[in-house]
Amino acid sequence: MWKFLIKRLLLALFQITFLVIAVFFLIRLLPADPVSRFVGMNASKEAYLQAEMSLGLDRSIGKQFQGFLLGDKNSLGLISGDLGKSWVSGEEVTQEIKKFLPVTLELITLAFIFAAGISIPVGLWGAANPGGIADKGTMVYSLFAGSQPEFSWGILFIFIFFVYFGIAPGPLGRLSPLTEAPIVITGAITIDAILAGRFDILLEALWYLTLPVLTLAFVLSGPIIKMVRENLIQALQADYILYARASGISSMRVARDALRVSISPTITLIGILFGYMIGGAVLIERIFSISGIGQYSINSILAFDYPAIQGVVLTISSITLLIFLIVDILHALVDPRIKL
Amino acid sequence: MSDKKIKISLLDIFGFIITGAVIFLAIFGEFIVPYDPTMVTNTVSKGPPPFSSWPSLLWDVFVNDLPSPHWFGTDSSGLDVFSRTIAAVRTDLIIAFSANIISASLGVFLGVILGYFRNILTEALLRLFDLLQSFPVFITAMILVALAGRTWVNIILAMSLLYTPIYLRLTRTEVLSLVNRGFIYASRVSGKTEFYIAIRHILPNALGPSLVQFSITIGFAILLTAGLSFVGAGVRPPTPEWGSMIASGAGQLVLGDWWPSVFPGVATSLTVFAFAVCGNFIEKNYDR
Repeated sequence: MWKFLIKRLLLALFQITFLVIAVFFLIRLLPADPVSRFVGMNASKEAYLQAEMSLGLDRSIGKQFQGFLLGDKNSLGLISGDLGKSWVSGEEVTQEIKKFLPVTLELITLAFIFAAGISIPVGLWGAANPGGIADKGTMVYSLFAGSQPEFSWGILFIFIFFVYFGIAPGPLGRLSPLTEAPIVITGAITIDAILAGRFDILLEALWYLTLPVLTLAFVLSGPIIKMVRENLIQALQADYILYARASGISSMRVARDALRVSISPTITLIGILFGYMIGGAVLIERIFSISGIGQYSINSILAFDYPAIQGVVLTISSITLLIFLIVDILHALVDPRIKL
Repeated sequence: MSDKKIKISLLDIFGFIITGAVIFLAIFGEFIVPYDPTMVTNTVSKGPPPFSSWPSLLWDVFVNDLPSPHWFGTDSSGLDVFSRTIAAVRTDLIIAFSANIISASLGVFLGVILGYFRNILTEALLRLFDLLQSFPVFITAMILVALAGRTWVNIILAMSLLYTPIYLRLTRTEVLSLVNRGFIYASRVSGKTEFYIAIRHILPNALGPSLVQFSITIGFAILLTAGLSFVGAGVRPPTPEWGSMIASGAGQLVLGDWWPSVFPGVATSLTVFAFAVCGNFIEKNYDR
């Protein structure tokens, strides 16, 4: 177990090192001119050079990388966990990410709970009678949901539930503009509301999260249903299930074993999807004015804010790699056939 | 090929029809549209005519030769939503197909090379492409396009880069299962060069999974194209494109004007679903 963990951690560290290098140079290799973006097209030569110097772009790319890693006049360097200051807001990038990341994590965690809560029973229902009406229906649904553009459904849901029926809150963010947000502790508004003992705010936050969560859960349910169904059908046809049945073990017990085996690839899928969604919830955040890491990345990218872009990509990729690690461990815990 | 019968369901037929229609519109769409998709008209934010009046309106247009109404209404700047939705098919499909053709060719070629010739160099290259896959797809695409410039070519190149590892992985796995097969040994014994074997024998036999993947990834690519322009990091307006149409219509939506964003949204939904159905069909009937 420990040997496996250390090996996996070393691999992840290795990957992150390369990621840092790749992100840094990728951004700078692209033919963008952030300096003229900041000083404007018609700026004087002096203003341009001064801006270039204050952004640290007058140095050679090697020196810039050295500064990014080990620190320079603007930051302590990545080695000390400092991603530098945003060129737009002047704030510490780490502070901004700390502010925006929990918002996204809250949104997608709720969406995954919802999606898994629907998909696993539906997948089981389909697999219970392969080839039946329920199975065909769930298959078509999962193919459909799994291919859909979440942004156009988000907008459609807003039109139906907010504009037309008026039963859902408008896409105004996480709380009504008139409500005072609870003191930020974790950054996830539902948890902060609970910590502040304000259950009215908790309910309101959940209310505002309903449509975005629903939209994301709809798109996510497609692949999850498909995975549960296929794996369960496969597991039920496996030899060890036949053996268990032949040995006279109760059908409930057999079903439980099959479920346990078929759940482990589903965990992998959910892990991969979760990592994907941290960066992929961008569009939903945009539509519902939720200021999470996705919105932050759009704004940084469109403003050519290099430190912020680096920070976002590194954060999301590192989380993705961490999730893969957790998934591998969970996998081994759930599936008795895998030994660490 | 086995002699297993190919089964076609109603859903498959639906998928084929929509895919066919979409490809038809991508080629001939410009001859069908009643208005110039980038030219503003005098009617602003006008709703589509009620569906019940469509038969008589169609009669007027085709028999009485009256000017065409705005079938899907007009948006807030007076652009005809119907013409733009149809014209956008070409934008989205050209980007999606080009990106997939480039990444599939590159991915298959690299997959054969990295799978057949295994040494430190190819192993390092493989790891490099693996790393590329741990990048957040949408955000990386946004970075590449926004920083390199929002042109068609850059969008296509960015997507090609992001999708190449998918094809590479699929092909390489297939190649690994082929290298020890009898016909490869036979070819080697008959004195063919290694490169000849890789291209002439391995490559054609390792194409299968990529062909299955192609239709699925086309759908992804359409979603990515639309998503990029939805956030303002894709093709520049006024080029007709579904994502940017949905985005520009979203502002009007809360006021009750649903048509500028819902019609292109439905078009996107149907198209990607149709490609998913086709991918599913090929996957079901592909015999490995």
